Amino acid sequence: MEKQVQCPKCSQIFSVTGTSGELKNVSCPQCNTVGEVSFSQKEPITPAIKVSNLRKEYGSLVAVNSISFSVNKGEVFAFLGPNGAGKTTTVEMIESIRKPTNGSIHIFGYEGESSFNLIKNRIGILPQEFHSFERLTIRETLQYFASLFEKQANIDEIITAMNLQDDENKLYKQLSGGLKQRVGVAISLVNDPDIVFLDEPTTGLDPKARREVWDVIANLREKGKTVFLTTHYMEEAEYLADHIAIIHKGNLIAEGSLDELIQRYGKGSILKFSNVNFHEISQALNPSGYTVKKTQNHSVSVTIEYKDQILEVLSILRHNAIEFDTIDIHRPNLEELFLQLTGARLREVEA
Amino acid sequence: MNFRFIIADVKVSFKSWIRSKGTVFWTLLFPVLLIMIFGSIFSGTDDISYDLVIQDLDQSEFSESFIKQLNQTSMLRINEIGSSINIEKYMKKEGNFSGLVIPSDFGNSIQQASVNENVSCELTFHYDPSQQTTTSIVQTIISSTLQEYNLAISGGRHVITMQKEETIGDDFEFIDYFIPGMIGFTIMTSCIYGSIERNTKYRKDGILRKMQTMPVSQMDWIISKMLFMLFLSFLSTSVIILVGFFVWNLSINFTIFAIIIIIATSFLFSGMGMIIGRFVKEEETADMAGGAITFPMMFLSGTFFAFDQMPSYLQLIAQTLPLYYVNEGLRNTMIYADMDKTLYFTGFVLAFAFIFFLIGVLVTKWKED
Repeated sequence: MEKQVQCPKCSQIFSVTGTSGELKNVSCPQCNTVGEVSFSQKEPITPAIKVSNLRKEYGSLVAVNSISFSVNKGEVFAFLGPNGAGKTTTVEMIESIRKPTNGSIHIFGYEGESSFNLIKNRIGILPQEFHSFERLTIRETLQYFASLFEKQANIDEIITAMNLQDDENKLYKQLSGGLKQRVGVAISLVNDPDIVFLDEPTTGLDPKARREVWDVIANLREKGKTVFLTTHYMEEAEYLADHIAIIHKGNLIAEGSLDELIQRYGKGSILKFSNVNFHEISQALNPSGYTVKKTQNHSVSVTIEYKDQILEVLSILRHNAIEFDTIDIHRPNLEELFLQLTGARLREVEA
Repeated sequence: MNFRFIIADVKVSFKSWIRSKGTVFWTLLFPVLLIMIFGSIFSGTDDISYDLVIQDLDQSEFSESFIKQLNQTSMLRINEIGSSINIEKYMKKEGNFSGLVIPSDFGNSIQQASVNENVSCELTFHYDPSQQTTTSIVQTIISSTLQEYNLAISGGRHVITMQKEETIGDDFEFIDYFIPGMIGFTIMTSCIYGSIERNTKYRKDGILRKMQTMPVSQMDWIISKMLFMLFLSFLSTSVIILVGFFVWNLSINFTIFAIIIIIATSFLFSGMGMIIGRFVKEEETADMAGGAITFPMMFLSGTFFAFDQMPSYLQLIAQTLPLYYVNEGLRNTMIYADMDKTLYFTGFVLAFAFIFFLIGVLVTKWKED
C-alpha cells in the first residue's frame, strides 16, 4: 500500500510504500530527516480528489450546484457535459484558479486553497484553449516549464512518449492544432505529476489529431497517472474513461463507470433502422408501447427492454409491410444515456 | 523569491522577443528611424517662438530707437532687463531661448561712424541651441532690422554687427535634445505594450491560468518581467545613443540620474500597462487602449515638439503627464546638467513610478472571479 507523508521539517510531500501493519523507517528525500511511518491495518484509501458540495455562483447564476464526487488514484475520470454545463468552472475550482462559493475540495487529502501550494509539484494541468509561448521550440517550452518545478521529468522521455521527436525544434506557432495539444499535454507532464488535469484537450481537433491525443491519455493511464479529463465528446469519455461523471446545467446528473451508468440508466437495447419512414414505423409500433425516436435522416431508433422484443418489433413491421434497409442492435451509449437523463441530445444542448 | 524561475523566465522572454521581428523593429529600429527622420528635419530648421530678452547696456537714444525698430517688426515680444542681471542665467531661469545684449558703446559708435569709417559695434545674440527654429527666426529678424538700421545710419556699411553666443553649452545640437525625448518615448511604448501583451494575450492563451497552478508566485512573475523590461529599456537606450553618436555626433552626459530615471520610467510605464491590461480584456481593445494613452502623451510631452511652442492650456495638460517629467528629467541630466531641475523632475518620475507600479501590482490578478 502507498501512503503520502509530509516531512515535519521541510514540508516536502512524498510517497512511501509498505504493507499493512508495517512500521517503516523513512528519510525525507529533500532534507534527509529520518522518521517512522506506520501502515495501519485499517488505513483508509485516500482518493486522489474528493469534492464535496462544491458550488459556484456568479450573482444570481448558479454555475455549479453543490456537486460531490471522488476520483480514485490511477483512473481516468471523465467529467462529461455540454458546453456551459459547468465543467471548466468545476475543474478550475479544483485547480485553485477560481474560488468556490461553497464546498470543499481535497487533493491527496489536503484541503483548500491554502494547501494547494503543497501539492502544486504533484499535479500537471492543461488549461482549456491553452496556447504556449509562440516563439519557443517544443524542447525549449518543455525545458522552461520543467525548470519551474523541483521535481523534473526527463524531457527526452516526454518528447518520445508524446511522439514529438520530429518536431521538437519547431517553434510552437508553426505546429498543427493536434501537435499543439500534444505539447500542451506534454507540458502538463514535465514534473512527473501524480494527477493530470486535461480540460477539453481535443476540442477543435480533426479526428486523426483527436485520436493521437487519446493515445497519449491512454498511455498516461498505463503509467498509473490519475487523469481528470473534462470533455463534451461522448465517444472520448467512452473510449478513455474508467469513471464518468455527467454534469448538466451545473448539476451532477450521473456518475459511475460506463457499464454502471448503462446498467443504471440505460434501459435494454436500441434497435436502429435505416432508410425507414418515421411516421409509418411510429404508427405501427406506438400502439404496442414502443417509443420511436428519429435519429438521423431516414433512420429511427426503438428502445426495447428484453431481447425477445426484437422478434416482436420485426413481426409488427412485417405485418405492416414497413420496409427498411438495415437494422443495428446495440446497448445504449452515452449519447442515448444523456438523452434519457436530460430529454435532449448533447448536440442539441450545445446548439 | 524563486531565482530559478526568474532566470528561466527572463531567458524565455528574451528568446520570444528576439524571435519576433515586429517587436524588435518597434523596440529598436522604429526609434532609430524616428531619430533619423526628425533629426534630418529639425537639424536644418527649427521651431517657433518670438520672445526676446534685451539687455541695453547703452541706455542711449540710439539704443532706444534700435529697440523701438525691433519692436516695430511686430514679430518679437521684447522683455528688457536691467544691466546688472546676468542675461544667460536669466534666460535659463525664465526659459527664454533668445537674448540680445546692446553694448555700452552702441550710441557712441553710431555717432562716430559718420566721421570714422573704422568704427564698429558688436551686439551679442545669446541663444539656446536646442531651440534652433525659434532662435534662427529671431536671429533673422534681428539681422534684417540691423541691416535696415545700418543702411539708415551709414548707407549700408556694417557699423553694427552681431555675434552669436550659446547660452547652454558649446557642442549641443538639436539632436542632442531630441535623443532624451526618444529614449523616454521608446521606454514608454515598449513597457506599456509589453505589459499589455502579458496581461491580455497570456490570459487569453491560458498561460496565466497555467502559471497560477505552478510553484511560482505572482510576485516572482512580475519581478522577472520587470527585469526583462529593464534589460529592454537599457538596450534600446544604448542603441539610440549609439546611433545618435555615430550618425549625429551626439554628445550627452550619461549620468547616474539618467540611469535612475530609465529604471523608474520602466517601472512607471510597466505599471501603467498592467493597469490597462487588468481592465481591458480583449487583445485588440488593449492595443487600442495602449495607443490612446501613448499617442497623446508622445505628442504632448515634448518628445517631438517643443513644450513651449504649445498653447498654454496644452502646456497645463502636459504637466500632468508622466512622460513630460521623464523627458525633462532626462534632458536636464543628460544635456543641461542642471542638478536642481534634474532632482525636481527625477522626484516626479520616482513618485509617478511608485504610484503607477504599486497600483499595477495591486490590480494584477492571476485568479479568475
